[in-house]
Amino acid sequence: MSNNKGTLEIRNLSKSFIVDNSPLQILNNINLTVTSGSFVSIVGSSGCGKTTLLRIILGLENHYDGEALMDGKQIVGPGTNRGIVFQDHRLLPWLTVGENVAFGLDKLNRKEKKLLVDEHLQLVGLIGFESVYPSQLSGGMAQRVAIARALANKPEMLLLDEPLGALDALTRMYMQKELERLWQLEKITMIMVTHDIEEAIYLSDKVVIMSSRPGIIKQIIDVSSSRPRDRASSEFMQIKAEILEEFHLGTEYTFAYAI
Amino acid sequence: MAKKFLQRLGLKDKLLAIIVPLLVLAAWQGAVSQKLCSELILTPPLTLLNTLLELAQSGDLTLNILASLKRVMIGFLLGGTSGFVIGILMALSPFLNRIFGPLIKALQQVPEFAWMPLIIMFLGIDEFAKYFFVAIGAFYPMVLNTYQGVSGVPEKYHELARVFDYKSFRYLFKVIIPSALPSIITGIRLSLGLSWMFVVGAELFGSDSGVGYLMTWGRAVFQIDLVMAGLILVGVIGFAMNFLLERAEKQFLLWREPVDGRPA
Repeated sequence: MSNNKGTLEIRNLSKSFIVDNSPLQILNNINLTVTSGSFVSIVGSSGCGKTTLLRIILGLENHYDGEALMDGKQIVGPGTNRGIVFQDHRLLPWLTVGENVAFGLDKLNRKEKKLLVDEHLQLVGLIGFESVYPSQLSGGMAQRVAIARALANKPEMLLLDEPLGALDALTRMYMQKELERLWQLEKITMIMVTHDIEEAIYLSDKVVIMSSRPGIIKQIIDVSSSRPRDRASSEFMQIKAEILEEFHLGTEYTFAYAI
Repeated sequence: MAKKFLQRLGLKDKLLAIIVPLLVLAAWQGAVSQKLCSELILTPPLTLLNTLLELAQSGDLTLNILASLKRVMIGFLLGGTSGFVIGILMALSPFLNRIFGPLIKALQQVPEFAWMPLIIMFLGIDEFAKYFFVAIGAFYPMVLNTYQGVSGVPEKYHELARVFDYKSFRYLFKVIIPSALPSIITGIRLSLGLSWMFVVGAELFGSDSGVGYLMTWGRAVFQIDLVMAGLILVGVIGFAMNFLLERAEKQFLLWREPVDGRPA
């Protein structure tokens, strides 16, 4: 991808839903800039509107106040410049792995499709699984297929909605490494919603901390440590303590408790 | 108790499924040959087999089965297709659902055979009347199951379609119908099953061919063996159709999650 694609600019964005005939504010005056090729995580407790924010960026939520600009253009609906990986892998169970990866490539001919499918299955390490059905895959494998499907479209920005939330702890850590590798390889912008603070620090250039009712951005923390990051390093711990403090979960014994 | 006893004999359920009907047939044959019952009233199985063989040899069997199957296929295609299309339209359009929903639910309460006098008045007793009668039977299971399947397509697939820009026919054929397919196939199976029941019914009223006709003819000339042979034919063919469709269903839905219940 070229260097200036995949930028996001959110200005004074607010969003409310109508609940029981009265408006309920979900997002309040959100301002966020995501530069091309960066990895940004949005963390916050459930109900803080982080998923709604991601859905606005994706284009699934169209009615909002303020501006949400993707590469300078107002977002009005989904587009192929943005890919999405949902928490549930959302593979279509009646399609094989290969057909699922090709789901967004419907306009290409067979040869072009096969080339892209092979390329992206290779990328996520699932060559040889083309003709397997999703029900035969483990959770981690299914999520890798979902990532391949999103990347096959060659998006400029990949949105990840708690992509590893349903995986067990070890698979999850392995997949975090995989995500980092893919991000470095593809050089595209990635925005991930998560409630796992370690995951956010491990992967992100920027961690956006949101708080709820109504959802606001409380703090944006830059993480500039070199990669791959060591979860046990004091720098890592410090950032973690800082974030936990934002959630009023800090303790004097953070170090002892984390080891 | 009986099950345990038989299991101790080492009999598998499948074998039992064959043995029990055979025992009934043997008892039937025995009852007649022991003069417990007149052969004129209760034709013994061996005689029935003979009747069926004679029918097969004369060509009457094939002719009448084909006549019935043709009516089933045409009626099923008419009723099943319209049920399929209307089911999809109702599920996708709340407006059409409000219009057709109550009407279909009300008409469904009418026993199928109650349509007969009306059909005879309007369409007579020719071939088209029979197609129409079969079509009514085929329509309901198809419209209901299609509607249920299509309106049950999970929101997450609709979202996925939006994200990947699937619209109109591509959306319908690549997302909606495949997702609803298990329900639709159940509809086809039930619909075809009812078509078969209805064609026999239609042939009982004024017909000159078909399995139902065979039975009415048997009754008219007091050939009980013919009537009973017809009954057996109806059962066997219905069973075979259902069996084949169940096999096809499994083949079609190979992607469904394995039995251990791991989520897809």
